[in-house]
Amino acid sequence: MHTGGFVLPVCSSGAQVEFPTPAQAGAFPREEIGTGPREMNTITLLQSIVNGLMMGGVYALIAVGLTLIFGVMNVVNFAHGEFVMLGMVLTYLLHNYLGWDPGVSILLVIPVMLGVGALIQKALISRVIGQSDETQILLTLGLSVLLTNVILLIMGPDYLSVKTPYKLSVVALGPILLSVPRLIAFMVGLSFSGILWLFLNRTTLGKALRAVAEKPEVATLMGINPKKMHWLAFGIGISLAAGAGSVLTPFFYTFPSVGGLFVLIAFVVVVLGGMGNIPGAILGALVIGITESLTAQYLALDLAMLGVFIIFVLVLVFKPAGILGKGKLY
Amino acid sequence: MGMKDPDRASSKKYAPLILAAIVILVPLAAPSRYFLRTLVNIFFFAALGCAWNIIGGYAGQLSLGHAAFVALGAYPTALFLLNWNIPPWIGFIPGVVLALIVAYLLGRLVFQLRGPYLALATLAFAEIVRILLLHFREQTGGSLGVTIPFRGTSVWKLQFASEQPYYYICLGLLGFCLYVTQRIHHSRMGYYLQAIKENQDAAENLGVNLSGNKVRALMISAALTALMGGFYVAYFYYIDPDSVAGMDLSIKILLVAIIGGVGTVWGPVVGACVLVPLTEISNYLFGGGRAGASLIIYAVILIIVVLFSPRGLVALLPGGIQSYRSE
Repeated sequence: MHTGGFVLPVCSSGAQVEFPTPAQAGAFPREEIGTGPREMNTITLLQSIVNGLMMGGVYALIAVGLTLIFGVMNVVNFAHGEFVMLGMVLTYLLHNYLGWDPGVSILLVIPVMLGVGALIQKALISRVIGQSDETQILLTLGLSVLLTNVILLIMGPDYLSVKTPYKLSVVALGPILLSVPRLIAFMVGLSFSGILWLFLNRTTLGKALRAVAEKPEVATLMGINPKKMHWLAFGIGISLAAGAGSVLTPFFYTFPSVGGLFVLIAFVVVVLGGMGNIPGAILGALVIGITESLTAQYLALDLAMLGVFIIFVLVLVFKPAGILGKGKLY
Repeated sequence: MGMKDPDRASSKKYAPLILAAIVILVPLAAPSRYFLRTLVNIFFFAALGCAWNIIGGYAGQLSLGHAAFVALGAYPTALFLLNWNIPPWIGFIPGVVLALIVAYLLGRLVFQLRGPYLALATLAFAEIVRILLLHFREQTGGSLGVTIPFRGTSVWKLQFASEQPYYYICLGLLGFCLYVTQRIHHSRMGYYLQAIKENQDAAENLGVNLSGNKVRALMISAALTALMGGFYVAYFYYIDPDSVAGMDLSIKILLVAIIGGVGTVWGPVVGACVLVPLTEISNYLFGGGRAGASLIIYAVILIIVVLFSPRGLVALLPGGIQSYRSE
């Protein structure tokens, strides 16, 4: 082994040695992935699709936050996955020291992260609004490395898990088994994504956000303060990511570099749905969840992300506006 | 790079010569092995930063996946050496050829994309390479990686018990990367790349072949990166998918160039001279086990550079950016 410090595989990605893809870190219930007898094939297929859908619901919640930030601020947040990680860490701590259930923690995690997001927006992101893509990417990339490693320094590189009493409970839907924590995560993911969509379309504040996304100059003339909308967008965006982190904890390992697994998926989802398009992101998340699950089932567990990336590159190259076309917060 | 001399012209003339003499003579003064290793690390990362700079700096096409080219150079070199005893100085050739082919295909595929889309596509590309290296463990050793046994000093196999030979090899490779960058800087292609960076549409309207120039720049950059991947195998004797194809390495490569100064010949050298010693200091202060500490320092430096000195540290040096742009 060499000793060149700069080149050593440092701990921030050291964790990925064991979990290069979400599929391996707990995205799909392993005990249900198996090669059944031939007549079981339809059931295996259905089970795999359902597993993918469940995870897709969580991806949706992460991705709508990312797409909201992009739509309103035109900033691609490379640190988005780290806010999922922060949500997971907060939920783990609340569970470990206060015995809170993740379902309760999420009610604290979301408002806390809303404030954190507004602060980060004010202190860092606001300085690069309207600057080159490169500047914005490098700033959020720096933020991502910073958050990962600060948590690594504080919490250490261990894989932490939250043990809820319903961790192993399942609901049987005919021959298909639904794991209870995954079902909860799926429902929370989809309903919060839906609430965001309603908020943007049915409330004055939400419409103000959309106005800034579509025509910032006109919005300013109408008396909307774009800076406040930027705080709000970034705060909501990352608090939804953190909320997704909360519901992930009962079945997904918590560790400092876990965000890296989600940020790529979230980007794929957002590009697939069209940057800034909320229903597109929700649909894209379900498609990606199923793709990942089917690749894990039929190709290999550690190749699950390969299917996702291949779809990603194909969409980028052949339909960069996304499957639903380009849209801003519809 | 002391330039306090009021007679700047003469200091500018002699300073590089004196610096070059010092760099060449240092190993002969028998410094500690650790000191030389740090210098080799500086040369190694400066060379990688230089290679990245051709596509990321001059052409302004932000690549977040350059580690993949290190892996494309390193894995063939390591596997040829391990399985057929082909020495690294021959074994790097298939890696470089592979990197050229992959860079050509990747470039053709992704260079119609811009800004964040391009950055994401390169990131996804590197992840695909890493996942494949992890998956085909029968050929690549998977997450256990490939270890090259050391069997005593052999010039043929580029295995040396002392540090000095590696020092000169790496210095030579860095010199080669700087030479290539210098040539591009003053060539027609260099001006095309800078035009593409400033404004792609305007460059295209003036008749610059966008994708041709970008693909060519990526191929040169990838070949140099793969060459350094070959050196990695010869020097470190160990590779695994996370250390040579992981996102950390991609980020470090671009950090070296960006912190030093993008689109300058000497920027990556300045960046490596800052980052590598900083890593050593933080490892010394916090212990190697707390690897997070050095990355926190990089992240803070990156954020500060992005916010306050986007042209990199070379812009802060006496003489300003112009004196380091070329020559």
